[in-house]
Order: sequence, then C-alpha cells, then structure tokens
Amino acid sequence: MADWSYIPQVLVSGLGIGCVYGLIGIGFCVIYNASGIVNFAQGAFVMLGGMITQVLFSRSGVPLPVAALIAIAAVAVLGVAIERVVVRPLWNRKATMFVMILATLAAQIVIERLTLIAVGDQPKTLPVFTDRPPLMFGSVAVGYQLIWIVGGSLAIVGLLAAFFGLTRTGKAMRACSINREAAALQGIPVSRMLALAFALSAALGAIAGILITPTQYTAFNVGVPFAISGFIAAIVGGFGRPFGAFLGGLLLGLLQALAIVGFGAGLKNVAALSVLLLFLFIRPSGILGAAK
Amino acid sequence: MTISPSITSPERRPFRLVGLLPWLFAAVVVGYAMVVGGYAATVVSFALIYAVFVTGLNLFMGFAAQVSFGQNAFAAIGGYGSAVLTATYGWSPLPAMVFGIAAAVLAAAIVGFPALRLKGHYLAMGTLAIGLITYEITVEWQSVTQGYLGISGIPPFGIGSWEVTSDRGQLVMLSLVVAACAFAAARIRRSRFGRALSAVAGSEEAATALGIDVSRYKLMAFLLSAGFAALAGSLFVHVVGYVSPEVFGLHMVIVTFTMLYVGGIGTVAGPLVGALIVSLLPETFRAFKDYQDLAYGAALILLLIYAPRGLASLFAPRGRS
Repeated sequence: MADWSYIPQVLVSGLGIGCVYGLIGIGFCVIYNASGIVNFAQGAFVMLGGMITQVLFSRSGVPLPVAALIAIAAVAVLGVAIERVVVRPLWNRKATMFVMILATLAAQIVIERLTLIAVGDQPKTLPVFTDRPPLMFGSVAVGYQLIWIVGGSLAIVGLLAAFFGLTRTGKAMRACSINREAAALQGIPVSRMLALAFALSAALGAIAGILITPTQYTAFNVGVPFAISGFIAAIVGGFGRPFGAFLGGLLLGLLQALAIVGFGAGLKNVAALSVLLLFLFIRPSGILGAAK
Repeated sequence: MTISPSITSPERRPFRLVGLLPWLFAAVVVGYAMVVGGYAATVVSFALIYAVFVTGLNLFMGFAAQVSFGQNAFAAIGGYGSAVLTATYGWSPLPAMVFGIAAAVLAAAIVGFPALRLKGHYLAMGTLAIGLITYEITVEWQSVTQGYLGISGIPPFGIGSWEVTSDRGQLVMLSLVVAACAFAAARIRRSRFGRALSAVAGSEEAATALGIDVSRYKLMAFLLSAGFAALAGSLFVHVVGYVSPEVFGLHMVIVTFTMLYVGGIGTVAGPLVGALIVSLLPETFRAFKDYQDLAYGAALILLLIYAPRGLASLFAPRGRS
C-alpha cells in the first residue's frame, strides 16, 4: 500500500496537472458555447503547442518565450483552418452532432500523423521556465514550473473572465451561446464568432501544452489523452461552463494524483475515465449543472 | 443522422439488378483472393473480419441511428476471451468463442443499461471511454493479457478435430460467416425489430408515441452490435494466431467508421463493400505505409462532407431520400 505521507506532495502536483486539464476543458466549452459543437481535435492543439515550441526552441534556437508565442499564434491559426476546412462545410450542410464529432476526431488523427511524419516518434521535452531548486513548504516541494502552471492558468482564467464580461466581442460570443438565432438578429456575425471561438480554444490548448511540457514530455500521440481529460473536466464542471470546467480540471487532477498513489501510475487513465462514466451515469449535468 | 430512414417497412422493389452490384463486387474480390491465395487471401480475410464488426456497428448506428465509439471494447473482450481460453487454458476454439461473445454481450448489457440513457456527445464520450478503459485494461492486466507483448500461439478456428488452417479454408469460413451476418442484417431490417429501430432512428418521441419501448430496442440493438463485434474479435485472433492491445485500439475505431461511411451507413451491403474497399486500397499504395492513418482520416473527412451516404447508396437507391 502507498505511503500516505506523500499525500500533500501528490496533491500539489495534481493541482498543476489539474490546471492544465482545466484550460483544455475551457477550450471545449468555448467552442461548444459558440456553436454547440464538441471539438474532438482539441488534443491536437495541446500537442502542437508543446511540439512547435520545442521544435523552434531546440532546432532553430529561437528563445523560449518567442517560440512559445509563435506556437500559440500558429496553433490559433490552425484552429481557424480546422474551422474553415472541416467544421464549416459540415455546418453548412447541417451535419448532425455525431458526424461533427467524427470529423473532428478524424482531423485529430490527420494532425497527429502529419506531426509524426514531420518530427518522428521520439518524445521531446522543454526545459523548465525557471531553473531553480524547488521551494520547500515543510516537507512539500513546490517546483517553479508548478508555479508557472498555476500562475499562468489563473492569469488566463482571469483574462478570459474579463474578455467575456467586459469586451464587446466577448459579450457577443456569450450572446451566441445563449441563442444563436437571436444573436444573429441583433447583428452579431455568428459565423465569425465561430471562427474566433476556434482560434481562442486552440490558443488555450496550445498554452496548456506549453505549460505542461517541461514537467512531462510531448510526442505526436499525447493529444488524445489530454483531450479526454479536458473533456472529463468539462463534464465534471457542467458542460458549457468555462469556469466550471476549470474547477472540474482541478478536481480531476487531484483525483488522478490520488489514484496514482493508490493504484499505481498505469491505471491513472482508467481512474479518470471511471470518473467520467460515474458522472455521465449519475450526474451528467456536472457539479454546477450544465449550461443548457 | 444525415439519412432519415423511412419509417415504413422497406418494400420489395421489382427492380433489383442494381442492388446486386455490391454483392457482385464482393464476390469478385473474394473469388479473386481465393484463386490467387497467399497474401491477397490474407488481406481479404482481414477485410471480411472487419465486415462482421462493421455489420454490427451498422445495426446500432445505421439502423437505430445511435452513436458508439466504444464497440472496439467488445471486440477486445471477444478476442481476448478466445485467446486466453484457448492459448492459456487449452479450451477448444468454438466454446472459447461462444464464451467470449457471451462475456462481451454481458459487458454490453452492464454498461449499456446506464450508457444508453445518454444522448449526443455524452453518449459519444461515454462509449469512447468504455473503449479506452478496455484498452487500458488489456495493457495493464498483464497476468492475463501479457500487456503489450500480447498472446501468441492461439490455435486456428475449428470444430473437434477439423481445423481451418489453410488461407483458402479461412477465406471460405469467413465468407460464410460474413454471408450469414449480412443475411441476418437484411432479415433484421425487414423484421418488426428492424422497423422499430427505423422508427427510433427517425424520432424517439414519435416512436414512443407509437408504443415502441425505445430504451429496450436501443439496448437490444447495442447488445446485438456488441455480439457482432465480439465475433469479429474472436475470428481475428483465431485467424492471426496472435493478439495484442493495439489490435483493438483507437485505430480500429477510425478504420471501422471509415468503412461504414465508405460503404454507406444504414445499408445492408455497405459494411461489406466498405470493409473490402478500405482494406484493399492501402494495399495498392503499400509504399506509403506511414501515411495510412493519415489517408483514413482525410478520406473520412472528405466522405463526411461530400458523400455522407457512402458508395453503396449509389448502387442501391432504395428510395430513402
């Protein structure tokens, strides 16, 4: 059985990964709210965020912050490209929700394979952003990367709250999520909001990928597990509620960390998926209740 | 679904020649493989195994218009059931296969009961989770499944002392199985059960109003579909003689969906035609092995956008538009 004195340490690292799940979960919600679409290519954004940064940083020698910014921008552009090439044609043909899920999942596979061909199958990693020994709080070590992850995530959540609450565009996106027809009648360019939602969601995914890569690794196939964890976070928080999703992410991160202590690292995905099934079967509307 | 199946029972049409084309195509491909043998026979054998799986998928998704991304779970249970019972415990293939299928249907009943209450993306994600959990278990439960190493030395399919060992023999056996499955699918579609599924596909509310027990029919379609999947999984391990977790992974989900959409979702011949085409095409471009999943994904996106009713629907315009 596990040594329970690890628990505080484990919870701290669970918090870090939970923030990342939360960001990915918010990405799901942003697109879902703008369009009613569940974008299963979300994992590709996370993978590419870390991957592009890594390639720019270690192959081309671009400084890390610049590489990260370029990666975020590139992934946002890719988000819009997916919206234009895959989602928009289906949307115009009034495809069903299921067809949309399948198409975005296929897009995920295409991106994964292209990445595999471009950079190979070797796992890659990034250096930590601040290379110093971890801070000690009693017996609990807190690495600087964890501070970056938590701090960065909280900053982004704050910025998003400001964006949705204060800016005209953010309010327009919220209007779309409440009722698209009514929003269109108010003169809100609904289809442009959809493209914007994909860009925003892709950028969020990329940021999550960049933040987490130094503590783990990135490879062409890390996307799907991250996407699934993000989706679970969104379900647990109540689908369509961005901040619920962040909360759900934190909860999932903590639970997963405990599951690793209890059952071993091999079963951490099983634990996360079981949480998903539990919520789906017992309380599909999540902790806070689904947005719709 | 993009297709809205007619609620009334499909009538027998006097003009049936065009409807035979997909079967003719399948017969030619299988016949060719039978004559040539060797590698061609192996490729077509795999295609036929997939055809069994996709026929089951089609029952649940085409006929009843439900969503499951997790049917690979049941193929894994059927496949591993057969593999473990024959290779580790020395059962003969037929009881092992029956046991595997029964276990898969039981598992489908246990997860289907709560899962099928879900709708839309909740159902999609719930079933995907079931598939992924099964995959993780096949990797982690090493005392039984031997993890990534897989189980080898699985005997070929046979009954009593009679065993199917040759390429051609397997091809004949699989052709018979596929024919039986397609026949069953055709019968199901025309039956009371099949019409009830069409009604559920059209509108659950309307079906309920007609006195159809929607959740019961959905569960039955799910169990049947799981049975087909388990049969395919079991056939696979007996034909190949080896099984590993990768066989029933996410790759299988994407490939089988591509087959379903290439062939034509909701048609009887579609799964077989789709399975043959999707299995044969990559073989003609074997130099591009790395690009296979890429091609599947891209082809699937294009099909979903431009030909959501698949190829079989071109052959068999059954007045469903």
